[in-house]
Amino acid sequence: MPLTIPVPEAEPPAPVIEVEGVWRSFGENTVLRDISVDIPARRTTAIIGPSGTGKSVLLKHIVGLLTPDRGQIRVFGDDLHALPRKQLYAVRKRMGMLFQAGALFDSMSVGDNIAFPLIHHGEGMSEAQIRARVEEKLELVGMAGFFDRPTAALSGGQRKRVGLARAIVMEPEIVLFDEPNSGLDPITSDAIDQLIRDMKAALGITFVVISHDIVGTVGVADYICVLERGGVAAWGPTAKVLQSDHPMVRAFLSRNLDLDGLDGQHLPLPTARPGEAD
Amino acid sequence: MIAAVRDYFGFVAALVRSVQREGLSWSASVKAAWDIGVESMPILLVIAGFIGSNLSLQGHAAFAPLGAQRMLGMFVSLAGVRELAPIIAGSMVAAKAGTQMASQLGVMRIQEQLDALEVMAVDPLAHLVAPRLAGIMLALPALVIVSTFTMIAAAYFAAVHQLGVGGATFLRFAADGVRPIDFAYGEIKGAVFGAVICTVSCWYGFHCGSGPEGVGRATNQAVVTSAVLCVVLNYLLSEVMYGG
Repeated sequence: MPLTIPVPEAEPPAPVIEVEGVWRSFGENTVLRDISVDIPARRTTAIIGPSGTGKSVLLKHIVGLLTPDRGQIRVFGDDLHALPRKQLYAVRKRMGMLFQAGALFDSMSVGDNIAFPLIHHGEGMSEAQIRARVEEKLELVGMAGFFDRPTAALSGGQRKRVGLARAIVMEPEIVLFDEPNSGLDPITSDAIDQLIRDMKAALGITFVVISHDIVGTVGVADYICVLERGGVAAWGPTAKVLQSDHPMVRAFLSRNLDLDGLDGQHLPLPTARPGEAD
Repeated sequence: MIAAVRDYFGFVAALVRSVQREGLSWSASVKAAWDIGVESMPILLVIAGFIGSNLSLQGHAAFAPLGAQRMLGMFVSLAGVRELAPIIAGSMVAAKAGTQMASQLGVMRIQEQLDALEVMAVDPLAHLVAPRLAGIMLALPALVIVSTFTMIAAAYFAAVHQLGVGGATFLRFAADGVRPIDFAYGEIKGAVFGAVICTVSCWYGFHCGSGPEGVGRATNQAVVTSAVLCVVLNYLLSEVMYGG
């Protein structure tokens, strides 16, 4: 079955994240160069590009873990890096993030990991309500019955699912995914992609996916931003980016996708994922 | 070096602001104090006991030729209460609890758990460092008292049963050698050492390099720096408390 590419919208929804002229260097190494991207609300935006192009650094700026040397990042209209800590935390409570390796607390059970944000911020929630919410999210990510399991005993794919359950337990308006497929076998990787698609349909919130897995990303993204050496090489609705004439974008995407086979909103799937054929 | 020192003081200032903003979890602090106390106790008892015995042996060897063996109790209590008990308790806690803090936080750093806390709007300084700081500042003064009495008891045992010094004489001179304020000074030293060990170890954990090698290096630097700072501070505090 070919990948279905979303029909480009005449007008994208208002942006919920606005990245404006962001520069960031580490010593002599300039990682982000004048990045400007508007991430539309209630859509899935993928930020893709070869390794070392600053994707994860950009994501860390969007959640305020890193501060830009120049430029501005507005989330829900607030300049994230000008906010006092208390207001920054208020913005972060409306966001969730899935880290590359899950970033779960190994000393806690699966349930306690997911309940963690609720225990800290779920004012007025009883223990039973917290448990019910955690069970609900576990079911959503296909991990029902794992509440009391030790985190240390989980596989890579399971850790991502639990990390995702934790990212959505506060019912955020934005969820960020940092390389959701990295380190996973192709089957588990497909399952995570499907999970993102299901959640996109179920939750209708803003997703930002950082990935270098082009096949999986193109299958879930409404909008794509391609980074090249810290700058934006292409940005727009997925169908338009797939037709981009930018040489690097074309070279990068055509390594894994049959761009010439793009037929309206359908793109033939490759017979094997990168590395799978080896 | 200067940048690291500036960064360390920035870390401590951020910790103070975090506690002002988020408050302090007393239950987590008491648990940290209990863990630090229990974990450090066995090794502290062994080390303090043998150092006390050695104090008796060396003191006796020094005083006996002068016919002043009865001064042994005073020597042991002066050296033990004022200097050795606090620094030994500090060193043992640096070795046990300080390394644990640096390695735990270092692993959390490389596994992005500290970032995850930030993204979940939970302040890692208030959540992880503040309870450890309060805990160590409660536990270490208590360990100084344990260290003091273990050292004096071991010194008494060696003096009386090995060296033939009269027990009553030893205790009378030991009591004469120290003032109540000396015990209070020991407690102050313990609290200061605790604050230094915790903030230095947590700072190294927070700034851990990547991979297991980074965690190992952070842990090693934490214990070395803490121990050196405790020795230097011990001298400076003694100068303020007893000098002049």
